[in-house]
Amino acid sequence: MKAILMLEDQKTFTGTALAGASGERIGEVMFNTAVVGYQEMLTDPANAGKILVFTYPLIGNYGIAPKFSESKKAWVQAAVIKEQTRIYSNWQATGSFDDFVKENKLLVLAGIDTRALAVHLRQKGQMLGIISTTSFDPKELSRKLENFRRKPAQSFVAQVSVEHIRPLGKPSARQKKVAVLDLGVTQSFIRQLEAAGAHVTLVPYNASTKDILGLKAHGLVISDGPEQDQNLRLVEQNVKPLVGKLPILGVSCGFQVLAECLGAKVFKMRLGHHGVNYPIHDPASYKGEITVQNHSFVVDADSLAKRKDTKITAYNLNDRTVEEIESRKLRVTGVQYSPVSPGLGEINPVILKFMKTLKRRN
Amino acid sequence: MPRRRDIKKILMIGSGPIVIGQACEFDYSGSQACKALREEGYFTILVNSNPATIMTDPGLANVTYIEPLSVDVVTKIIAKERPDAILPTLGGQTGLNLAFFLMKEGILKKYGVESIGASVSAISCAEDRELFKKAMQETGIDVPKSGIATGVEEGMKIGLGIGFPLILRPAYTLGGSGGSIAYNKEELEKFLSKGLETSPVHQILVEQSVLGWKEVEFEVMRDCVDNVIMITSMENVDPMGVHTGDSMVVAPAQTLTAEEYANFVNLSKKIIRRVGITGGGANIQFAQNPDNGHIVIIEVNPRLSRSSALASKATGFPIARVATKLAVGLTLPEVMNQITGKTTSFFEPTVDYCVFKICRFTFEKFPNAERVIKTSMKAVGEAMSIGRNFREALQKGIRSTEISRYGFGCDGKDAITDEMLKNPGADLVKEIKDRVRVPNDERIFYLRYAIKAGLSNDEIYELSRIDRWFVDNMRQLVETEDEIRKYRNNRTDEAIKLPLELLSKAKEDGFSDRQLAYLLNVKEDTVREHRKKNNTRAVYKLVDTCAGEFNAKQPYFYSTQESHEEGRPTKNKKVVILGGGPNRIGQGIEFDYCCCHAAYALKEEGIESIMINCNPETVSTDYDTSDRLYFEPLTIEDILNIIDLEKPMGVIVQFGGQTPINLAVSLRKAGVNILGTTADSIDIAEDRKRFKEMLHKLDLLQPDNGTAFTFEEAKEAAKKIGYPVLVRPSYVLGGRAMEIVYDESVLERFITEAAKVSGEHPILIDKFLEDAIEVDVDLIGDGQTFVIGGIMEHIEEAGIHSGDSAMVLPAYTLSPEILSKVREATYKMARELSVVGLMNVQYAVKDEKVYVLEVNPRASRTVPFVSKAIGVPLAKLATKAVLGKKLKDLGFTQEVIPEHVSVKESVFPFNRFPGVDVILGPEMKSTGEVMGMDKDFARAYIKSQIAAGQRLPKKGNVFVSVRDRDKRAVVFIAKKLHDLGFHLFASSGTAAAMEKNSIPVKVLPKVAEGRPNVLDLMKDGKIQLVINTPSGRIPRQDEVKIRSHVVLYNIPYTTTISGAQATVNGIEMLIKKELEVKSLQEYHKKLKGKNQK
Repeated sequence: MKAILMLEDQKTFTGTALAGASGERIGEVMFNTAVVGYQEMLTDPANAGKILVFTYPLIGNYGIAPKFSESKKAWVQAAVIKEQTRIYSNWQATGSFDDFVKENKLLVLAGIDTRALAVHLRQKGQMLGIISTTSFDPKELSRKLENFRRKPAQSFVAQVSVEHIRPLGKPSARQKKVAVLDLGVTQSFIRQLEAAGAHVTLVPYNASTKDILGLKAHGLVISDGPEQDQNLRLVEQNVKPLVGKLPILGVSCGFQVLAECLGAKVFKMRLGHHGVNYPIHDPASYKGEITVQNHSFVVDADSLAKRKDTKITAYNLNDRTVEEIESRKLRVTGVQYSPVSPGLGEINPVILKFMKTLKRRN
Repeated sequence: MPRRRDIKKILMIGSGPIVIGQACEFDYSGSQACKALREEGYFTILVNSNPATIMTDPGLANVTYIEPLSVDVVTKIIAKERPDAILPTLGGQTGLNLAFFLMKEGILKKYGVESIGASVSAISCAEDRELFKKAMQETGIDVPKSGIATGVEEGMKIGLGIGFPLILRPAYTLGGSGGSIAYNKEELEKFLSKGLETSPVHQILVEQSVLGWKEVEFEVMRDCVDNVIMITSMENVDPMGVHTGDSMVVAPAQTLTAEEYANFVNLSKKIIRRVGITGGGANIQFAQNPDNGHIVIIEVNPRLSRSSALASKATGFPIARVATKLAVGLTLPEVMNQITGKTTSFFEPTVDYCVFKICRFTFEKFPNAERVIKTSMKAVGEAMSIGRNFREALQKGIRSTEISRYGFGCDGKDAITDEMLKNPGADLVKEIKDRVRVPNDERIFYLRYAIKAGLSNDEIYELSRIDRWFVDNMRQLVETEDEIRKYRNNRTDEAIKLPLELLSKAKEDGFSDRQLAYLLNVKEDTVREHRKKNNTRAVYKLVDTCAGEFNAKQPYFYSTQESHEEGRPTKNKKVVILGGGPNRIGQGIEFDYCCCHAAYALKEEGIESIMINCNPETVSTDYDTSDRLYFEPLTIEDILNIIDLEKPMGVIVQFGGQTPINLAVSLRKAGVNILGTTADSIDIAEDRKRFKEMLHKLDLLQPDNGTAFTFEEAKEAAKKIGYPVLVRPSYVLGGRAMEIVYDESVLERFITEAAKVSGEHPILIDKFLEDAIEVDVDLIGDGQTFVIGGIMEHIEEAGIHSGDSAMVLPAYTLSPEILSKVREATYKMARELSVVGLMNVQYAVKDEKVYVLEVNPRASRTVPFVSKAIGVPLAKLATKAVLGKKLKDLGFTQEVIPEHVSVKESVFPFNRFPGVDVILGPEMKSTGEVMGMDKDFARAYIKSQIAAGQRLPKKGNVFVSVRDRDKRAVVFIAKKLHDLGFHLFASSGTAAAMEKNSIPVKVLPKVAEGRPNVLDLMKDGKIQLVINTPSGRIPRQDEVKIRSHVVLYNIPYTTTISGAQATVNGIEMLIKKELEVKSLQEYHKKLKGKNQK
C-alpha cells in the first residue's frame, strides 16, 4: 500500500505501508541511530505518540519475542524504516517483525530514504509529521498537521501509566521496598530493580503525595516516560513535597520532573539524543561512560547551578547538556540517560548505587 | 590527561613484507601512527623491512630504518637511537612478537625502553594460551574445553569428557597440518594415534569443536583512565571453521538481538579490562552456538589487526590513529573525531548501511594445493563494499574482488548454467552440495547454484551452517534475477523492455549493468544509456561514523540506489586516481603506495584528489589521504558513475597496477580524459603486433616470437623459433599460466590448459633465452625529458617472473657497454611512446645482446623500491608530470646512481599451501618483498635474506643437489662453503662433481632407497641450508619432498645457482663481520650531497 510522510516544512517521502495498519498518523518525527533494538524502542512507553525513524536500514533481522517488549504494546504513532527483511533468524525469535506490526496494528512506512530523512531532521530540527495511506494531497496533509498543532495535545502519560497502585508480588524480608512512579516505566528497568533486590510497587502518575508516602517505601523512582506531557505538571506538584523525605531516583523524563521539583528549568533541544552511543563524562575527570539516551528535552544547567545542595555529576560530552545530577543532602539522584542493563543479567551502576542508599538509610 | 612528557623518542616496529595473514593493513596502521605521534611532537624512529610502504617514506618518521626485523638488528637500532618507548601494536603479529623477544632477552630493560600501547603483561595474557584461559575463566567467560594428551588412552579420556565433535591438533606442526575432526569414538582413537605420530613432540590438543557456530567479532578500545568504547561488531558469514581472514564478513552483525548485542559488548569491555590494555585497542573473537546462544571466546588480539583495519574502514573511525594517541597517555575525550570534526573519539560509531568484506584467493597459482579453506588463512587480499542492504553490498563486494565476476552470478560466467540447473542430475546436485558443505573459494557461487537447483534455506543452512538470513537474501537475488530474465530480448539491438520499477529494484539489490545486460541480452552500454535516460542513477551516501546525526567534515562515500544525493562534488580543479583493488599475487601494496603518492602530489599542486578503491587494508582508503574517497568497486560502471557526478579534469590510470590500465580503453571510449601517457601508447605497449612494429622501427631486439590459437599453430611456431620456448596466454596478470617448454609433448599439454585461461585470446610463444640475465628499468618522463629511475639487475637468471626475482640496484655484473645499451633502448622507447609519467621495461641480456621482453607504460612493482634506493619520490614526480609539469622544473633530470647497494627480495606463501612444490618460474608466486641496504652487495643481499625470513647459518651442514647443467657452477659454491667450515651433503650425481674437485662430501641415498636420507636429516634439524635447483617441468619426486620439508622446517634454501652464489657470499659476510644499521635519511643525505657536487 502506497504511503506518504509529510513533514511540517512540506518535505515529503513516499514509500509503502507494511501490513499492520492504514490511515493517518500524526506525531513528532524523531530518529534513533541504534543498530538493534527495534522491538524495545517501539514498545518503550517513552516513545508514545512519536513517529519513530530507524536510521539502521534493515529491520526485522532477528525477529521478535515477547520477552523483549518493554511494555504491553507498541506506543509509537508510527514507524519509518528502510527495509523490512524478509526472514528473521535468531534462536530466541518467536515471530517476525511483520507479525508484531500486525498484532500492534502499527502503521509502518517502509522503503524510503531514511538517511535523507534523518539528515533533513538534523538540519531543520525535530518537527511534526503526518503519515498517510489515504491522502496524498500536500495541501490536505498540511492542513491536518496545522489542525493537530492547534489542538490541545493529548496526554500519553495517562495512557501508559498503571491505573492503580500495584505491588509486583509479595515483598520478602530481604527486599527493599521501592515505589516506582510509573510515567511509562520499561520492563527491563523493573527487572533490573528486582535483580538489585527491590520489591517494586508501581504507582500511577496521578498518585498524591499522601498515597506515595502511605506506601512506606524505602525509596522512590520517578520513571522514564513521554516528555513534555501536560500531566507532568501534576506529577511535579505531588513529588515536590517528597524531596528530602526519602531517596529518590529520577530517570530520563522522571529526571526532568525531579529537576523541576528542584527549581530547575527544562528546555527542548533542536534534535534531541536518540541512540545508544552517547558519551557522558564527569566534569572533574577524564573518565566517562557510553550511555543509551532517548530524550528531546534537557535540564538547563544554569538554572540548576542555583541550587547549592545539588551537583551536576555528568555532562554529555558532545553538547555539554546535563546528564546526571546528585544531591547527597536531599538523597536524590537524577539521570537523563537511560540506565540500561550493561549485559545479560547485569544491573546498571546507577540502580545499584540507588539501592545501596536505601540500605544505608534504613 | 595530557600526553606523556616523560617519553620523547618512540620506536615503532612495522610488520615487514606482505605475507598471507599480514598485508597492507599494517601500512595503514603504521602510517596513521607515525602521523599521530608527530602531531603530538614526539621524535619517531621506525623500522620496517618492507620498502613498498607509505610508512617507510622518509618524511613520515623522523628516522626510518629499512632493515631486517630481527632481534639483533632492532637491538642495534635501539642502542644507536636510544628510544624511551617502543610501540609494538601496529606491526601485526611480527611487531608484537619482536617486541616480546626484545623483552624476553632483556634488551628493553637494558636500554630502559618501555612498551607502550600494550604492556608486556597484556601481551602475555593474550598470547599465552594458559594465562589467557585462566583470565577468561576469572572473567566468567567460557573458552572451548580442551586438554593436552601425550598418549591415545589419555586422549580418549579427555575427548570423551568433552564430548563430540572434537578437534584434534597435533602440537608443533606447521599450518595446522595433521589436524582432524572426530565425530565418534572410533574416529577419535584413529586420529589420536595418527596425530600423535605427526607431532614431533608426541603431543596432541583435544578440543571441543565449535565448528559451524556463529563467529562474531568486536573491536574495542580503552584509554588510561578506563574509558572503553566499542567500535563495531562484525559477523562472519562463513561460520566457525573458516579463518576469519578467509571469511566473508558483514558489519555490523545482522542476526543478534539487542540483548545479545549488549551482552557481547559488555563481555568485550570486560575482556579488554582484564587483559589490561591501558591505551589501545583489541579485537575479540567469539563463537556462539546458534541453537542456544551459548558463547565461548576464541581469541583476543591486543593490537591493531586486519579486523581492526576493516572495522576502521567500515565505520570511519580511525582506530590506528586513536590507539596511538591513547598509547601516549591521551584519553578518548581528548582526541577529536576528525570525520565529524565536532565530536570526540569518546563515542561509539554507528552506521546506517551494511558493510561486506570478501576475500581474494589465488588457488590458481598453486594448482597442487587443496582447494578448500579452513582454519589456516589462505586469502591474499580482500575487498570491502558498502550498500544500504546486504544484497547490494554482496553484489558490489563480488565485483570488487576482480575475479571477472560482476555480481552474484548471472553475468555470463557461471560455471554451471541455468539450463543445467533446471533439471539437475544426481551427480550435479551432489557436486553442488559438496561445495556448499566444504568451505572453498567458490562457495559463494555454489550457494547460488544450490538455490537454483531447488535446495531450501534450511537445507543450505544444514550443509553450510551459513545463517538462513544470509541465504534468504541470496535467494531474493535469484528471484529478482528470474524476474528480470522475463524481459529478455531476442535480439541484442532491441530496446530494453524492463519496467522501470524492476530496474530500480534490481539496482537497489546491487545488480550491475553487466549482469542486467547479460540477463536482458543487450550491451552493457545500452543498459547504461537506458538508465541515464530514465534517471535511474546511483547516488552517493556518507560514511560519517554517526548515521547522519552530525554534519560530517571529512566523510567518505559509497554508491547506492536511493532518492537523495549526498555527494559533495565541488567546482574546483580535480583529478580521479584509480586504485588497485584487492591485493593479489602480482598486484599489491606497491601500487597502493603509488596511488597515495599521486594524491599527495595533487595536494601539493593545489588540485583536488578523488580516490576510487575498495581495499580496506590500504593507506589509499584512509579518510585523509585524498580529498574525497569513494569506496567503490573498480569496474567501468562504478567509475563512470563517479565521473558523471564529479566531472574531473581527468583520470590517472598508471598507478593502480593492471586494474586501471585494463579500464583505460573503455574509459577513453566513454570520453574520459586519461592523464599522462596516451591510451594509444598504452595500446602499443599492450598490443603484441603494434609493439613488435615499434621495436622494429627503433631497431631493437626482441626474442623470436609468434602467436597461435591451436596446438598445430603452436607446434609450427615453436619449431620455427626453436625450443625452449616461453608460452603464455595473452592478457594475463603476474605471469598467470606462463611456462617454459622444452619439447612438443609438454607444449601440447600446456596448450590444453592455457586455452582455458585465455578464452578468445591467442597463446603467445617466445624464444626462451636460457641463462640470460634479466634487467628491470623504471623510467619517468614528461613527454620531452626522460630520466631513468633505476636499472635493476635480477639475481636469478631469466625464466623467473620479475616479481619473484631478487634484484639489485645498481646493477652489479653488467658491463658499462651493456648498461649504455639498456639506457639507449629505454630512452628510445620512452620517446617513441611519448611517456608522460612512469614506464617500466624488462630486458634479457645474453651474449652481449640486449633483448626487450616487455614494456609497461605504468608504475611498476619496483617504483617504491627504486624511490627509496635513490631518494627520489618517483610516483609523486610522475603525477606532477602527468599534470603537465616539466621534470626540469621539478629538478629531476639525471639518473641517480647510488654508491650504496639495495637488494629487493621476494617473500613466498608456500607454507600456507602444504604439499605445493617450492620452485620459482615464469608464473609469479610471491606475496611481498623486502629490501636490504648496505654499502656493498654481499651485505645488502644478506640483509634482504634475513629480512625475508631466511635464518642463515654461520656453521653446520649444507645439502646440495643440482641439475646437470648446474653441476659445474655449484662446485665453486661448494668449495667456498667447505672453506667457511660447512659440512657438505649431496645427492650422488652432485657429489660426484664435487669429489672430482676434491671437495669432501657425504653422499645421501635417494629418498626411496635408504635411510637416513636427507628428509630424515632435515627432520632431525641436521641440515642448515639447502641448495636445490629444479630439473624440469615435472620435478622428480625427491625434489618435491625435499623442498616441501624445507618449508615445513623453515630451512634456508635457494633454487637457483645465482641465488646460491649470493647466499654463500652473504654468509661469508655474516661470519666475518657483524652487520651495521643505517637509516634511510642518512643514505639519502649522502646522495643529495653527491648530487650537489
